[in-house]
Amino acid sequence: MELLKASDLVKRFGNTNAVKGINFHIEEGRCVSLLGPNGAGKTTTLKMLSGLLKPTSGSIDFKGEKAKDLRKFIGYLPQYPAFYNWMSGKEFLVFIGQLAKLNRKEAEKRSEELLERVGLTNAKKRKIGGYSGGMKQRLGLAQALIHRPKLLILDEPVSALDPLGRREVLDMMREIKEETTILFSTHVLHDAEEISDDILIMHAGEIAISGSLGSVMEEYRQPILQIEFESQAADWLKSIASYSFVSEVNIQGNKASIVLKDMVNGKQILLKDIVDRKLPIRKFEISQTTLEDLFMKVVKA
Amino acid sequence: MTQWTVLYRKEMMEMVRNYKFLWIPIIFILLGVMQPVSSYYMPEILDTFGGLPEGTILEMPTPTGAEVLMKVLSIYGMLGVLILVLSAMGVVSAERQSGVAGMVMIKPVPYSSYILSKWAGLLTITLISLFIGYVASWYYTSLLIETVAFERIFQSGVIYSIWLVFVVTLTLFFSTIMKGNGSVAFVTIFVVFAISTVTSILGKYMKWSPATMTEHTGQVLLSGELNSSFLLAFITTIAILIVILISSIQIFKQKELLE
Repeated sequence: MELLKASDLVKRFGNTNAVKGINFHIEEGRCVSLLGPNGAGKTTTLKMLSGLLKPTSGSIDFKGEKAKDLRKFIGYLPQYPAFYNWMSGKEFLVFIGQLAKLNRKEAEKRSEELLERVGLTNAKKRKIGGYSGGMKQRLGLAQALIHRPKLLILDEPVSALDPLGRREVLDMMREIKEETTILFSTHVLHDAEEISDDILIMHAGEIAISGSLGSVMEEYRQPILQIEFESQAADWLKSIASYSFVSEVNIQGNKASIVLKDMVNGKQILLKDIVDRKLPIRKFEISQTTLEDLFMKVVKA
Repeated sequence: MTQWTVLYRKEMMEMVRNYKFLWIPIIFILLGVMQPVSSYYMPEILDTFGGLPEGTILEMPTPTGAEVLMKVLSIYGMLGVLILVLSAMGVVSAERQSGVAGMVMIKPVPYSSYILSKWAGLLTITLISLFIGYVASWYYTSLLIETVAFERIFQSGVIYSIWLVFVVTLTLFFSTIMKGNGSVAFVTIFVVFAISTVTSILGKYMKWSPATMTEHTGQVLLSGELNSSFLLAFITTIAILIVILISSIQIFKQKELLE
């Protein structure tokens, strides 16, 4: 079922169009990742969906109806969550819970539940000012979930965390995914590949690609040849671009990834070339393009 | 419990935790007590520190109780206003700057509740500080100089509080529209100063001005009677307050929270 639909969403700041008329929808129960380079308009889009920012034009429908105040359906974790540092973790959650229209008792109960869930039970009486970055992120997740939102929006939930904190938050997201719909933005492609069902790739204020992770990968997947040299072989790599079966060559240091139109003949010829020229190679691998390759292609286009 | 109550209680809790509820009333008490004490001991003080030649006869008219209290209010008008503005300057701007305002508004909280809870918080601390300080001052005045009828104290305190409410409401407004705490304080003080000055220079044409509240306070204190132009000033002040609050809410709605 369609949970949320954005139609022709535009946001203009002064003369710049941060978001240029995007259309997409989110299915209930899915975990959707919003990808894009910095400045693509991800945060602006998320803020508009959360009801914190008014779109310049366009509309957002929630469950098929034009929603007036989306905020009660949505839990939002901003990129840099801020708290009242003089409150304890528990106090903050109860406070936020009451603002989300829970009564005091419910707010207390729900706070305890969530503190347990995000692993902050031991720190619940400590001042938030003394929390670490990872703890603040987890408290942020708890405050977003306090009123059991229909849609959980997370803006770069793991970008600022160390590998351990990242793992914790990702595991929590995987759990939460079972109960509610999640939309999160990230530029860590690996995370998106790991937990999302659907992806949206934004670039320069527009949606470049959208669909389920499987189908997008299927559609854009290309066989590529990855060669790793022991030393630079830029001259040869430049020369092979003239072969008719080579469609793209990307060089990164000693590594190169080559997109071929005709894998069967292409790899034979290239391998023969390498042998003839006695180029020192370490690896010669046939593989598929990854989400990262797709992302790069979209962003550079 | 409504969201407004939750927010108001948070304001109260914050002022207790950061000791604002302690030090602002204490400053008002000190400012209020200093005046009667120093008037009373003025001859001795001059005698000790004045370095007057031997045999000088000091004959100072002892000020009346009402005069002392008027001086107290004029000190509140300068230092008290300064303290209140400085303590209230970050009321919205600091929360916007840290992003916590966004964390609050992401929940279904009406924008008016947010601003009005802040306003109520400021009013609470302002009125409590003024009344405690003023009553302390009255107590010392009656102890050392002469007793002024409490009725007059009460009336003048109420009228004076209208002026202070106006000042903190103005602070709230500038704190909503601007971001830097320093500039909020500067602009607020500048505007308050400008209103007071213009009112006293162009007295004839400024009978409606909120700054005339200080004059009406003196009037009540000295004669116990209200000037006829009070009603006009009162009504325009209330009207200005309402306009400031409504525009604060409207401007707050347009501000981008969570940057």
